[in-house]
Amino acid sequence: MKILIQTLIMTYLLIICSCTTEKTFSEKEINIGIKAVIKGYDPIQANDTYGSVEISRIYEGLLEYHYLKRPFELRANLAEEMPKVSADGLTYTFKLRKGVVFQDDKAFPNNKGRELVAEDFVYSIKRLADPKLMSKGWWLLDDKLVGLNEWRQKHSELETVDYDEVVKGIRALDRYTLQFELKRPFPQFLYALAMPFCFVVAKEVVDFYGKDFQNHPIGTGAFKLSKFSAGANKVVYYKNPTFREMYYPKEAYSEFERLGHLKDAGKRLPLVDKISVSFMPTEQPRWLNFSKGNIDTLEIPKDNFNSVLNDQKELKSEYTSKGVKLEVAPSLDLTYIGFNFDKEIFKNKKLRQAIALAFDNKSHNKLFHNGVAQEANGIIPPGVSGFDSNFINKYLTFNIQKAKELLAQAGFPGGKGLPELTYDTSNSTTHRQQGEFFAKLLAQIGIKLRVFTNQFPVLQQKINDRKVDLFGIAWSADYPDAENFLQLLYGPNKSPGTNDTGYNNPTYNELYKKSAIMQNSPERTQIYEKLNQIMAEDVPIIPNVHRQFYIIKHKWLKNYIHSDFEFGRAKYLNVDLKEKAEIVPTL
Amino acid sequence: MNIWSYVFRRILYIFPILLGVCLIIFIMFNVVAPDPARVMLGKHASVEQMEQIRRELGLNRSPVVQYIDVVKSAFTFDFGRSWSTKQKISEMISQGIIPSLTISLPSFILSSIIAICISLVVSFFRGKLIDKTIVFACVALMSISSLAYILFGQYFLAFKLGIFEISGYEFPNFLPYVALPVLIWIFLNVGPDVRFFRTIMLDEIYQDYVRTARAKGLSEFKIMFKHVLKNSMISILTYLVIQIPYLILGSLLLENFFSIPGLGSIIVDAINASDFPVLKAMTILGAVGLIFFSVLTDVMYALFDPRARLK
Repeated sequence: MKILIQTLIMTYLLIICSCTTEKTFSEKEINIGIKAVIKGYDPIQANDTYGSVEISRIYEGLLEYHYLKRPFELRANLAEEMPKVSADGLTYTFKLRKGVVFQDDKAFPNNKGRELVAEDFVYSIKRLADPKLMSKGWWLLDDKLVGLNEWRQKHSELETVDYDEVVKGIRALDRYTLQFELKRPFPQFLYALAMPFCFVVAKEVVDFYGKDFQNHPIGTGAFKLSKFSAGANKVVYYKNPTFREMYYPKEAYSEFERLGHLKDAGKRLPLVDKISVSFMPTEQPRWLNFSKGNIDTLEIPKDNFNSVLNDQKELKSEYTSKGVKLEVAPSLDLTYIGFNFDKEIFKNKKLRQAIALAFDNKSHNKLFHNGVAQEANGIIPPGVSGFDSNFINKYLTFNIQKAKELLAQAGFPGGKGLPELTYDTSNSTTHRQQGEFFAKLLAQIGIKLRVFTNQFPVLQQKINDRKVDLFGIAWSADYPDAENFLQLLYGPNKSPGTNDTGYNNPTYNELYKKSAIMQNSPERTQIYEKLNQIMAEDVPIIPNVHRQFYIIKHKWLKNYIHSDFEFGRAKYLNVDLKEKAEIVPTL
Repeated sequence: MNIWSYVFRRILYIFPILLGVCLIIFIMFNVVAPDPARVMLGKHASVEQMEQIRRELGLNRSPVVQYIDVVKSAFTFDFGRSWSTKQKISEMISQGIIPSLTISLPSFILSSIIAICISLVVSFFRGKLIDKTIVFACVALMSISSLAYILFGQYFLAFKLGIFEISGYEFPNFLPYVALPVLIWIFLNVGPDVRFFRTIMLDEIYQDYVRTARAKGLSEFKIMFKHVLKNSMISILTYLVIQIPYLILGSLLLENFFSIPGLGSIIVDAINASDFPVLKAMTILGAVGLIFFSVLTDVMYALFDPRARLK
């Protein structure tokens, strides 16, 4: 017996003696840890942040955001230059870059990737509209291009989809000329083309892999995937040997220049050989792997905040001494509490105003965002035109006394006569705590609030079915334009569209409609500000915060800039192998 | 009753049970669960698109047809494709089973052997200090949550001491990555196993035949191994066999924390993505496994112990 136990223990000890792997620093490799699993690589399904970033390592679009410019600015990518736009703003003509080739793959004759042509974009946009493919990005071009909706409608009733049928709204005029024709002006159209939904795929590859296409991404991008299987815990990308000549930009936003992001100016892209993306769904392993140097960058987990940053929200010396750097990146988003306007009770404006005044946004920020988020004064986040930092929203000033007065004026003095209200939110611990905090605040003015937590799809479903009273939710920008936020309150967008509140104010709708077809101009900005004021007075939502990302990076990772639109960023990143070899053993 | 007719009857029972399980699964996913069209479309859904998706997924067919689909998949193991990854679910299962088994199988074998050895020791020293100490330690081990083991193991053993890898998985070189999860799994299992096996062995130790063996002058070693262990094995094997389906499904928590791409991870991802076909498949797989192995246990029982046959 004793011998048996001894043998077992010895065996196990022998096994674990060989239990760590050796680290070498021979090639430039970026290591990233992500929270969400990669579902696949089909651009038309790229509706989540992580998926979009992964897809954009391989696939590309006509345009991309200039990596080093702020405010965000679009520049030509697979297009040779920015498009020619007709005087009426309806026709966009693009000239494609010549000599761009798809990555080599067995889907092509002789395994050699062929040249990209305008017809590829026509095909890719039609895929987005193809009803059989159930694209998650169709909303982007829905009712925008001449003939595309009709093409989609016709084929939703047919067994097969005919891609050869000409659609007037998107045509290849010749091998390298692509033309879009819009039904009506859509100033955000160029932003739409920079989104992964509109990235280009090759028909041969789609046909060759059929239903498994999304597991075999072959694009024109700077990186090529070695092998992919959905659900894998790690994916590795290698430098694409046939990537076109492209160079690191020579001009930058002054702050980026100061941070040394121009050191690689003029160098040929991509700058690294390999990218490893590991899937780490839980916080602790991500944190420990960063601390050990196994991953290069990380958003500081909420629970590690105080151990990493001092009271001034700067990195503590134990981290700066190891060369860790901090980047604070504002996010173009908004968290908010919405009222369901289908419930008669919320048509009472004074009641909405009273509830908003009872909400202590400062404490909420401190408790749930470590005090580092930006408290919202309206629906528009900072960083896009239409945001006015001087605007004071008088219903977001947390005033219990005033809230009680308004509640009495609403006909519910001290909450009397008001039924118990419900608040629905997501089912994470933080969301639940936020709900309880809100309930406690409302109790101070005599309103009873019951909190329900739901899995996100269930929450969406409840909002859709109009079964909620109040709900907590967030919106992240699809593109850097206030219109993307203002449309959340546009009447015709009511659920299952993006207007979850069901708010429907004719004045607001009129102004929104007017602004939606205007190009960026001082007049449009004025309308945006006016819309924000209407919202502030009407309180269809209680805006909470615009979140900020606190990102830490190891010193050896160069040119890393966090942003909401990271598509295609990987090619600009660099690694200093000498620094890495020096620092990692000390971690 | 003839053994074969007993076995035949047990196998026949599988069908109504499976039909019932399929009905419950069907109700869970097709009646109670949220609308998959909304789940799949995300924040920009429109009524027209949701209708289209329902049509493409076949959710607009009659409930009876959809129920028959579920029953069919339980017998053919053809679960169709995942909604979120578009992969064949049977492929996902075959890819996930290996990583799951590389943790669960060694853990299961090692923890069972260790638990049996410890149980033999404590039942031999029953009532003495060593017995009480070990039983106390087992209860203490069981009282700690599995999350605490994981967090401590990962932080202290992997990060601070650097004995193990923090997380990750590679095949075929999986040893460095599974050593720590296996160790944690053993710690989690040994406590309850020892207490259970000890009870079984003590039942045997007080039997008359053990006293007779002692009277005949057999050594304690022989009595423990040849008689007590052998006769306890029926109950022990029953207990172990019933755990096999859970081994295949892996451990949700361990796989999640150690980024191991096994079936446990697949289930967690499917829950997060509301990927109903995958969840259905896993539920059916678990149910079929459980039914199969419980029948197998009954049959084994009947073979080894004729008294166990139902009259």
